[in-house]
Amino acid sequence: MIAGTAHVRVSHVTKRFGAMAAVDDVSFEVPKGSFATLLGPSGCGKTTTLRMIAGFYDPDEGDIEIAGRRVNNLPVHRRGTAMVFQDYALFPHMSVRDNVAYGLKVAHVSGADRTRRVDETLAFVGLGGLGERWPNQLSGGQQQRVAVARALVIQPQVLLLDEPLSNLDAKLREQLRVEMRVLQRRLGMTFVYVTHDQEEALSLSDWIAVMNAGKVEQAGTPWDIYYRPRTAFLADFVGAVNLVPAKVLDATDDLVALALGSQLASVRRPKDVRLAAGQEVTLCLRPESFTIGSTTASPGQGIELSGTIVRRAFLGDTMRYWVKVDDREWIVDQPDPGGSATLDGAVSLSVRPDRVHVIAE
Amino acid sequence: MRSLQREPALLLALLAVMALVLTFVVYPQLQVVLTPGPGGYVQYLQEGTWVRPLRNSIQLTLLSTTTAVLLGFVYAYAMVYSNMRWKPFFRLVGILPLLSPPFVVAAAYTLLFGARGVITYGIFGQSPNIYGLNGVWGVQTIAFFPFAYQLIADALSRSDPRMEQAARNLGAGSWRVFRTVTLPLSRPGLGAAILTTAIYILEDFGNPQLIGGSFYVLPTEAYSLISSFGEYTSASAVSTILLLLALGLYLAKVRLDGGRSFVTISGRASSMPRPPVSAAVSRACFVACLALAGIILLVYGSLLVSALTLRFPNNLQFTTEHFQYVLSGTNGDALRNTLVFSGVAAALSAPLALFGGWLVQRGKWPGRGALDLLLILPAAIPGIFFGLGYLLAFNQRWLDFVDRGLLIIIAFIFWNIPVGYQAAVAGLRQIDRSIDEAATSLGASSLRGFRDVVVPMLGGSLRVGFVTTFVRSVTTLSLVIFLFTAPTTTATIRIYQLVGDLNWGAATAYTVADIGMAIVALLIFAALARGRIALGAARA
Repeated sequence: MIAGTAHVRVSHVTKRFGAMAAVDDVSFEVPKGSFATLLGPSGCGKTTTLRMIAGFYDPDEGDIEIAGRRVNNLPVHRRGTAMVFQDYALFPHMSVRDNVAYGLKVAHVSGADRTRRVDETLAFVGLGGLGERWPNQLSGGQQQRVAVARALVIQPQVLLLDEPLSNLDAKLREQLRVEMRVLQRRLGMTFVYVTHDQEEALSLSDWIAVMNAGKVEQAGTPWDIYYRPRTAFLADFVGAVNLVPAKVLDATDDLVALALGSQLASVRRPKDVRLAAGQEVTLCLRPESFTIGSTTASPGQGIELSGTIVRRAFLGDTMRYWVKVDDREWIVDQPDPGGSATLDGAVSLSVRPDRVHVIAE
Repeated sequence: MRSLQREPALLLALLAVMALVLTFVVYPQLQVVLTPGPGGYVQYLQEGTWVRPLRNSIQLTLLSTTTAVLLGFVYAYAMVYSNMRWKPFFRLVGILPLLSPPFVVAAAYTLLFGARGVITYGIFGQSPNIYGLNGVWGVQTIAFFPFAYQLIADALSRSDPRMEQAARNLGAGSWRVFRTVTLPLSRPGLGAAILTTAIYILEDFGNPQLIGGSFYVLPTEAYSLISSFGEYTSASAVSTILLLLALGLYLAKVRLDGGRSFVTISGRASSMPRPPVSAAVSRACFVACLALAGIILLVYGSLLVSALTLRFPNNLQFTTEHFQYVLSGTNGDALRNTLVFSGVAAALSAPLALFGGWLVQRGKWPGRGALDLLLILPAAIPGIFFGLGYLLAFNQRWLDFVDRGLLIIIAFIFWNIPVGYQAAVAGLRQIDRSIDEAATSLGASSLRGFRDVVVPMLGGSLRVGFVTTFVRSVTTLSLVIFLFTAPTTTATIRIYQLVGDLNWGAATAYTVADIGMAIVALLIFAALARGRIALGAARA
């Protein structure tokens, strides 16, 4: 296979449980060697999709291909996929070494070769020297690494990961997130990753499919998903956001003139979206896109607003303000709160036109 | 279903299990039910000879269940709630009856209270007639209260100590807590325990056979119809009536406890102690348990003394003569038969039950519900019915080449499969499905994953199945009474025959040897299993 071609292809796959379609006509392609993530709230069908790729569920309709080969009729153990489970699913009656060696043993890899590969893989995930421990003697993070090592050691075509970090505390999660990304880059292996954590998805992935109610709402790069969500659901699901109704006054090739309430604004026009004068749209503004200040800003392009701070929350790396403008509260983040005085009372907000995203639903 | 098509080996294994169950559970039982035919049933029901045994069975079951449950409840309450002394001792004594054939109580009862009984005649100079309802009632009470105790103690110990602590913390006294928190919470468990005890008593054959006299109950009626008159039609009809009663009780029990029909006797570690009861209650518990344990020890003690003396109770000179008799010639064969049949059956039944549990609990194929039902069903089938089924189905000339011992082993395997099966299902529920899936996603076939991952993790369920099958096989009389032949006589049959011959010395020595053998076998097994073993307290 050449890098960049589809390595996992899901075509028009549907899975029903009873009358409910858990996965509803889902199609996507994952290029070889990429880190692909299925992101969505619980019950959106992301895990069901992953489990159909693994072979734990049979799709009711549609095809699943791995490396150009239709795998619908292959049992789980012949698909060349390995899975890392949310609860790790380590075999409690086997040592760490035996856990990692299991897949090789099943594949009849001979003794010396097996020992070497197990040692290499354990060292690779930073667990060298812990091979004789039992799973219950390890911390959560270590268990997670064993689960990854156990799957990696058999050199699967595709590694499937089902929320592998969700049982860890925040600090460790962040650390392992980085390791996971480095690991995938080094191996050049195709990863299909499932998570409900948008931050995790954004920081890890080459490509994200956001799922909702059994369908893929949008697929694309993390950048696209975050800054150019196609729907209000997406914008809201992926990070904090201000969603503001507005009306199109005029649209040129590059710019859109908008009325939001009594304010007028001019913002960059999104590609591939049809806009006409008089159309109702939703504006998507990320809290960190604002500039907030105590002085009244001069009007210009983008959006300029004046309001009053009603609440604030100190989040450590940012200070979050809820600013009341007319009848609406806006969420605005100020970076590096230690560097400036805490604001209060009347403030002005401004957003550059390229930071406003127009959703035409 | 598609998963089965993709793994032919799994499909074959499933079909094999299905074929075994159909052949050895469904087919023989259908033989019994179908043997009389419509005409036979009509005729038998019109004859009316079934009315008296049916009434007797119901009467005996109601009376004995009531008394056995009352005594068992006292014992259980004391063991679970009180701070009395000697608890380990009482626990040990409470297990003893589970390891012995229940009908030895009838034998001991005759020795102690019979016309020439140690107590009735020896102390009081009376020669009462113990045969009939009152005798059987007393014997069933003594024989089955230890079972009721195990079941009730299990139900009580499932109530959450934290609830009781909370109630105490809110100001309720210990009796009030028991009445308003423990009892309501454990009502389904207690109901199931009572019904299970009733099933044991309803299905018991040995005790009413030995001291029932002319008081016939359904199992003894079925037996005598065949042994005295060769009346297979009527025997099948009366057995079917017994089966219907037992099934009714069993279904009621399942409704209460959702089919969790086995108890494991092993210490359940509780994170929190139960609130203490008053010292006076503990003392009362101690006295009650001492009395009840005394009765159990009296039963087994008299058997032991009788086995070791020349002619109990008249000549108490020590002798090993009875044991020599037990171990000599064909008598020794019966003991060996019991050991071999039960050991082989347990070694095969436990893994089969585990595999069946895995197929049902983890599988995704149509018909799982049917296999589930068929693997639980034998728990509701009285031993006498099961044995009769095997007699009717497999006592055929063209099957003469099959060793009759093998037939007994097969009967043991399938009659005892429910306990191991339910232990396996319960165990599998504790193990997340992702563990099996991890094995298959690493390249193992489903069957390989079962072998490498599930079996080692379900050692506990496997041991429950093994031990329970072994103990039930060693102690059953009703199942083998229709199946044994001279070379395949088992220990319980031999004891039963010796009691019938009034050869008390040999009978009691045999009993002691049988129980002793069971205990030694279990101890060896426990040593091999390197740890605790749990005994499922189901029996029939």
